[in-house]
Amino acid sequence: MLQSFFQWMQGLPFSAWMLEETWASPIIQCAHLVALVAFAGAVLVVDMRLLGRGLIKTPLNQLAREMDRWMIWSFVALFVTGAPQVLSTALKQYYSPFFWWKMQIVIIGLLFNFTIRRRVAFAEEGSLGHWPKVVGFLSIGMWTGVSVYARLIGLLS
Amino acid sequence: MRSLFEWVDALPSSIALRESLNAYPTMLTIHVVSMCLFAGLIAYWDMRLVGLTLRRVPVSNIPTRLFPWALTGYGINLITGGLLLYSQPMRYYGNFYFWAKMVLMLIAGINMFWFHYATYKSVQAWDQGREIPLNARLAGVVSLVLWAAVVVTGRMMAYSGLMPQWWNNLNIGA
Ligand code: HEM
Ligand code: HEM
Repeated sequence: MLQSFFQWMQGLPFSAWMLEETWASPIIQCAHLVALVAFAGAVLVVDMRLLGRGLIKTPLNQLAREMDRWMIWSFVALFVTGAPQVLSTALKQYYSPFFWWKMQIVIIGLLFNFTIRRRVAFAEEGSLGHWPKVVGFLSIGMWTGVSVYARLIGLLS
Repeated sequence: MRSLFEWVDALPSSIALRESLNAYPTMLTIHVVSMCLFAGLIAYWDMRLVGLTLRRVPVSNIPTRLFPWALTGYGINLITGGLLLYSQPMRYYGNFYFWAKMVLMLIAGINMFWFHYATYKSVQAWDQGREIPLNARLAGVVSLVLWAAVVVTGRMMAYSGLMPQWWNNLNIGA
């Protein structure tokens, strides 16, 4: 089922075009990395604050609200620049364990962000004891994991 | 310069790193993650200067509170980048994107020092403000563009077949 879906993606005219057009893949990969930098900064500013580091003179919920937009839009940019690469290299991705780990953590990371992390960051500060630290730590850990697995797709498969 | 690269290329430690199966993936992965720490934070600092975000955070808060982290990321970035280069100097010697990246980093560094020792001196006057001096906003834009270009040239180093024709004509790698 899943395999035929990936085979279908690989067979799309768009995938063939991506592979034929010399500059298509490099440009998309560069854009994915620029989006990654924007995403990492938006996540880190808030996660460091959750850990009691960084911009501690600014109220946490103010920072979190401001960074929320940047995080969402840079994720959209990651998706828009990631999806074409999945299409053009669908079978390589399908057979790479790192791709599946990356996608699992991406989904867990998003769920975690919209259920727990945002709630903790928007909450009254000081009302949650040590939980903000745990949340910041987990968030940094997950997105770092995503980046490591992502890089290993290209290097080890 | 070429003889320096060739000399490193022949060092036993360079050869050992080059022949290790794990060294390249490990260093490149750490290079990318540390880049996130450095470039991610610097990007928001630049955007604060430009006035795009964090406008309610006093400007001077960011260097004191975020730069130590950004510089830690930068340090790891330089070490892993240096090791990658050390392990395959002759692979990068003729690579247009490698030299472009080094020049761009140098210009970004000059921009940073210039800003820090000239424009930033008057920060007290515009610390809280929404009105950032033109020079500071320019430094922010220049920095954003340059670091993005460093990221792009960094990724393009892998595409040795996509270097400009005029560069290939110089025949530097051969
Ligand atoms: C749903 C969204 C995303 C999709 C579909 C996607 C897809 C991809 C694909 C297909 C690659 C190429 C892997 C290869 O074959 O070498 C890639 C690379 C990469 N991705 Fe993503 N990605 C997404 C989101 C993210 C996120 C959220 C992060 C980090 C937090 C991330 C970090 C990276 C990194 C570090 C690379 C390696 C870049 C390189 O040097 O080429 N991606 N992505
Ligand atoms: C002395 C400083 C640095 C040196 C010597 C260096 C060297 C290298 C080398 C040798 C590679 C591997 C290229 C390849 O084999 O494909 C690389 C990749 C890269 N570098 Fe650097 N680098 C340095 C600093 C930086 C900085 C400051 C940034 C960004 C702000 C950066 C961003 C990148 C990126 C995005 C890649 C591509 C990673 C990938 O393929 O996923 N580098 N660098």
